[in-house]
Amino acid sequence: MQRTTHFRTGAILFLLPALLLFTAFFLYPVGYVVVVSLMKWDGMSSPGFVGLRNYSVLFHDEVFRISIRNNLVWACAEALIQVPLAILVALLLARKPKGWKLLRTIYFFPHVISGIAITMLWVAIYNNERGLLNGFLRLIGLSEWEHNWLGGLSSAFPSVLVYGLLYIGYFMVIILADISSVSQSYYEAASIDGATRTQQDWHITLPLIRGTIATCVTLAMVNGLRQFEQVLLLTGGGPANSSSVLVLYIYKELQNFHYGTANALGTVLIVLGGLVILTVRRLFNAAKYDM
Amino acid sequence: MNKRTLLLTLPAILLVISMLLSACGENANSGEASEIEIKFPSIWVAKDSKAATFAQIVKAFNEQNQGKIKVVVEEIPDYGAYKDKIRTNITTGTTPDIFSFDNPADGELYYKSGNLADLTPYLDEQWKSTFLDHAFDNATYDGKVYSIPFEFGVTPVLYNSKLFKQAGITGFPKTYNELFAAFDKLKAAGIAPATQMTGGDGWVSMLWYSQLLSAIGGPDVYKHGLDDPAFVQAAEVLKKLFDYTTGDAVGLDNAGGHFLNQQTAVLLNGPWFIGRIKKEGIDHLYDSVEVAPAPVYEGGKGQPGQYIGFTQASLAVGKQKDKKKEEAIVKFLKYLTSPDNVKKISLDSGSLFVIKYEVTKDDKVERLQTGMKKGMEAAPYIIPHFRASVSPAVGAEFPQALSGLVLGKYTPEQFVEQLKQAESK
Repeated sequence: MQRTTHFRTGAILFLLPALLLFTAFFLYPVGYVVVVSLMKWDGMSSPGFVGLRNYSVLFHDEVFRISIRNNLVWACAEALIQVPLAILVALLLARKPKGWKLLRTIYFFPHVISGIAITMLWVAIYNNERGLLNGFLRLIGLSEWEHNWLGGLSSAFPSVLVYGLLYIGYFMVIILADISSVSQSYYEAASIDGATRTQQDWHITLPLIRGTIATCVTLAMVNGLRQFEQVLLLTGGGPANSSSVLVLYIYKELQNFHYGTANALGTVLIVLGGLVILTVRRLFNAAKYDM
Repeated sequence: MNKRTLLLTLPAILLVISMLLSACGENANSGEASEIEIKFPSIWVAKDSKAATFAQIVKAFNEQNQGKIKVVVEEIPDYGAYKDKIRTNITTGTTPDIFSFDNPADGELYYKSGNLADLTPYLDEQWKSTFLDHAFDNATYDGKVYSIPFEFGVTPVLYNSKLFKQAGITGFPKTYNELFAAFDKLKAAGIAPATQMTGGDGWVSMLWYSQLLSAIGGPDVYKHGLDDPAFVQAAEVLKKLFDYTTGDAVGLDNAGGHFLNQQTAVLLNGPWFIGRIKKEGIDHLYDSVEVAPAPVYEGGKGQPGQYIGFTQASLAVGKQKDKKKEEAIVKFLKYLTSPDNVKKISLDSGSLFVIKYEVTKDDKVERLQTGMKKGMEAAPYIIPHFRASVSPAVGAEFPQALSGLVLGKYTPEQFVEQLKQAESK
């Protein structure tokens, strides 16, 4: 009995610092965001309580709808295109073809460079007049396809979205690491039974790394919800807000001294993030896999 | 202590240590500091046309006050980032010792915050007399002066007379009908007539819109808010102007690049751009650039020669606990805004200021600057630009609404509706 009390006090004492930090850097800010979302405030003079007004303003707002739609498209594109691509490449590299280490480095390399630098590179690629993309189209005789990629109502958002999906190195490395931890004995047994490499991947590797895939899907989707600098630098959310995303919208509302709506947007983002995590856990039955 | 307990307690220990250290640091600073350090985040650095002279002035001040006052400039060359920083600082109560802002609409919110120092007691008659009349109109809130107006902006037309000649046009058009005729000629000669942009804050196109508002709605156009029919009418003409620009205008955020490379013939911008024409323009570009007032609109309420003019930069001081430091900051402000120093910056960069200075025969006065000054003095009226006359949210929505207008998503009426919606949030 005495031992347990001892243990409890000890546990509480040891958890206290982490708990304090968690409260200071997570609970308090989130609570603050929610409270401010109920206020009309310009950030300078004193705030006034307006209830759910900010939310009702947002739900009637076109930019808000566009931003949510773009974020959801982004989250799904990452989960359904980027992660499967990463799995495919990881499976291929796991077979250790010649030069696989070099390939692994090449795939991972973009993640070492700052996202802003890469985005600036794409600004140059998409440029209407001097850009590589239009130049390439001219070169292969498709000059009628030339386009102001970042300035078109229907092309701006896909242009911002699509290049990010190509950078799969981060997820690939995580998946590759998990594949290498699968015991070789399964594969040996399978080859004795005459299973091909593809069958082995499908029936052994994929089920065994399911937990990691769930983690990657969660990270990818949350990443899709958090997008900011890619949009800010490429289009600033334009033209006509067609490529806007939530975080960019928050940033603009802060700049416009609309702190209430900005924090309401923040609250929506937190809720969306929570929903995404719950959904992915459900889909992958992930609780079982310790994610 | 076993490994696990150590791991668990480590964050707490680190936190305590860092707190102790920071506390010690503060003590050490305030104890030993005999020199007052003034922090000045500044945009007048790097490529800015005022950068070199501004740096010289700061250096000279620091040398004169060695051991007593030291102005430390924090270089922030990006306008947007600068604005973000200042706003965050003011909101969180960490206002810099000195900072500048460009838009009176922002300034008013800063004054309200209660985080700026009241400069009224320092503004004696002698200091005040060095400024132009009405310079302090936008600097006063609740009867107190919270900022020192500094740089003045006018944004007439800059045009490339060489390209005009190539297209067979003499002189700058006086009306919008003539302007479109001239633009047709330029287009026929294979020259993109004028720079337009919807990227970033849409600055150059915002200035065209301001000129159109003034030409159509006259000097009182901002009095009725966005309900004045001039806002819709000006949007129609602005849309037409986009037929006469470069293919990348929607999304373009680099104001002036095409003009500096002689790819466009006309640019609306201010005196601060003169330095860039000299430094970054292609060979001999400067010699072909001329200044003109914007055209009048047939049937509009505006008068010929009207100018867009506004306080382009004001200097404000963060609220200080230490009276001595406040005095030191004001001492620097007085130095920076002294007619001698202002004259130096003005002659070197081409920028205009709200501070009066004497020009002698020996001074080499900028040709384009002189042109702008003359135009300004001859103007029947001067009104501020669109963004300075509406709320920050409307100004921020402008480039988005404009790109929608240009791409046919919005009619001119819907364009104005978009702006109104931004205001209502």
